[in-house]
Amino acid sequence: MNAAVVALAIAGAILVATIAFALYSIRRIRMDPQQYIVGGRSFGALLLWILLAGEVYTSFTFLGAAGWAYGRGAPAFYILAYGTIGYVIGYFYLPDLWRIAKERRLLTSPDFFQARYGSAVLTTAVAVLQFLLIIPYVTLQLTGVQIVLSIAGYGHYNATVAVAAAFALVVLFTFTAGLHGTAWASIVKDALVLGAVVFAGIVLPLHFFGSFGALFDRVLASSPHWLTLAHGSAPFGTNWYISTVLLTSVGFYMGPHSIAAVYSAKSGDAIRRNAIYLPLYQIVMLLVFLAGFTALVVAPGLKGPAADQSFLLVVQRYYPAWILGLIAGAGCLAALLPASAQLIGASSVFAKNVLGNAVWTRALVIVIAAGAFVMWVYWKQTLVDLLLLYYNGVTQFAPAFILGLYWKRANAWAVGSGIAAGEIAAFYFWHHSTQLWGINPGFFALLINLAVCVAVAFARRTSE
Amino acid sequence: MRFLLAALSPLMLTFAVPLANTLQPRVFGFPFLLVWIVFWVAVTPLFLYFVYRMERRT
Repeated sequence: MNAAVVALAIAGAILVATIAFALYSIRRIRMDPQQYIVGGRSFGALLLWILLAGEVYTSFTFLGAAGWAYGRGAPAFYILAYGTIGYVIGYFYLPDLWRIAKERRLLTSPDFFQARYGSAVLTTAVAVLQFLLIIPYVTLQLTGVQIVLSIAGYGHYNATVAVAAAFALVVLFTFTAGLHGTAWASIVKDALVLGAVVFAGIVLPLHFFGSFGALFDRVLASSPHWLTLAHGSAPFGTNWYISTVLLTSVGFYMGPHSIAAVYSAKSGDAIRRNAIYLPLYQIVMLLVFLAGFTALVVAPGLKGPAADQSFLLVVQRYYPAWILGLIAGAGCLAALLPASAQLIGASSVFAKNVLGNAVWTRALVIVIAAGAFVMWVYWKQTLVDLLLLYYNGVTQFAPAFILGLYWKRANAWAVGSGIAAGEIAAFYFWHHSTQLWGINPGFFALLINLAVCVAVAFARRTSE
Repeated sequence: MRFLLAALSPLMLTFAVPLANTLQPRVFGFPFLLVWIVFWVAVTPLFLYFVYRMERRT
């Protein structure tokens, strides 16, 4: 009981202190929609690095990556690769996207469709679709907070109440501070998460096994094929690995909150320098895998979603409450700050491109957060399934952005039909759990999207 | 040239992975597949930096 109080108090203090620090840092900024949604396009390479890292590396990335290492083994390595390739692709096209956003004063992801393709119908349709896709993602962050807080409470408390309190705090903070606040709070989050991950990925394995080699020997002793991929078309084999890495790296920046982060850059050069350094953050994921493998040997037997709790349970069982509290604090921030960026993203898309005025963004943050919380309480499990659809779903916007930037012939009909075909295919494959040659079905959806887009672009030209 | 330079680590992290998909040789005890992936992730900033320098000069 006492241990739970200590751990939860530390986690709570971290959350409050981080918010206070962020509010202090931005006290001189006057909020208009441009400041609120894209930080006044003022972020240099470093703050941009921290904001993007703050968005990309969510508690679900950490818990999920450890869970994959624990529950699946080598397929988890795809997480290292896809982010890295996403940054390389982004290095080339994001500065061009940023330049257009700056010239045309774009605020949201659908704004690009209005500016480039000039179709109000397409823009609104894209806005509604993005909004629907991102809501499950926001609510899933709440599940991340719940896992962290229920472990920090040693199972003594009803975590739903704690989750509600933490989320309410962050929503009020988001309402007040906008994207500036999220970026500054991410500074604290990244530092704490780095500490937590070094502890979990280096201290834990060395404590239990003495060396990393000994850790891997123990993993291999019980499962000899755990650290290599299955061949070809086997489930989670090399075909799956390659197609998943390609798919997810193309879709890496396609969430509306990530596009807003790109717009928030001070210059194209800041984006390029940022892309150079971001792959270094990926190395952190290696440590998360090590934590997952350690948990597999120390606390085997967790099945399904419970694998995500693996390394937190090891910390809870073998270490003092204050260490668990620090890690839980980092974990809460790692869930709530991405939720904050996603809330701003979802609200701005709905306000600007569906309701027609960006000034509604702030009020919508509260409304959408309340809605997301209610959905989370009632439909937790359904939302987890929907998240699989999120990645495949947002990736379908990639051809519209990339062809739009570099191919004059791309037009509203072409990208509209491409997105429609891609989304329908992604939904169909998801619904029927289609598998072909072990390839990730979202990859086929993206190819269908691209083919339809190019075909319609040529057909429209010949008919004119 | 700069696209080639930038494309190298993405290729090594995708299509070359089936060739690196082995346990041996272990490097400091780490399985080879993991070493391969971490190596190409770690050198990517270097390649992107070269690309950046080349763009700056032109």
